[in-house]
Amino acid sequence: MPLLKLRESQIMKIHYLTGICAIFFVAIHILFRIGMGMSFNESLEYHNVVANYHNIYYVILLELILVFISIHGFNGLRIILLELKQNQWWESTITILVLAAMIGVIAYGTRTIIIGSQL
Amino acid sequence: MGIEPNSDNNSSTGGDIRLKSGREGLMGWLNPTRYGWERVPYWLQRLTGVGLLIYFIGHIYETSSLVNGINAWNSMLELTQTTGGHIFLLLVIGASTFHTINGLRLIFTESGIGIGRPGRPDYPYDATSLNYKQKSGIWVALLLATIAMLYGGMVMFGDVN
Repeated sequence: MPLLKLRESQIMKIHYLTGICAIFFVAIHILFRIGMGMSFNESLEYHNVVANYHNIYYVILLELILVFISIHGFNGLRIILLELKQNQWWESTITILVLAAMIGVIAYGTRTIIIGSQL
Repeated sequence: MGIEPNSDNNSSTGGDIRLKSGREGLMGWLNPTRYGWERVPYWLQRLTGVGLLIYFIGHIYETSSLVNGINAWNSMLELTQTTGGHIFLLLVIGASTFHTINGLRLIFTESGIGIGRPGRPDYPYDATSLNYKQKSGIWVALLLATIAMLYGGMVMFGDVN
């Protein structure tokens, strides 16, 4: 019995959707580094980055990027690993490990976003 | 590729069959023969994907130094905002652009867009789905990745804001 109650076709739709959304979100994220009337290096100065984290829309954008790329990236890794080997044990193990890593990365990134917005 | 009855659970007991050597694993994945030019973007899509995932995790760790104050942030910048760090970032820009454009091509392909109409398989049995649209899509992805890297280089090493 598959570990997730999702068909592979449904997972692929999520994979594509998160990928397409990530393109737009990351484009806006990059514009904050090179399109705000200051140089790339200036935009990375501590007070400028903290100011970004005080913008609620930017904070929401960062969280969306974090979640969407984590889902897309770790599912991509799962797909690659399932291409290499196929059996029930391998599929379940890889799915559990990838989900655990994804949740860990999202939790760690969310912690930074929350603390950063309160600096 | 040999197929043999599963000795633990043979056909007389309604058992399944087990592939003797049907799995090629990593070597099959890396094998460049049999697949043609399309194997290159197949590799690149996966290699850039794994590379970008590693960068993403590193970027989250790098950014987390923000919460430890200005000194921790500046120490991290001293590590990353170097010539080597910028060259690494250029590779990330190229990888992400290729992964994006080639990924969009794959989404279109899986949706049935750009693969042409099915046709009778005549000698030399070229797949009709691997047509000029697919091939040009691959080249466009490589070209845009190069342009993005050039622009990124001008931003990081030049005067472009």
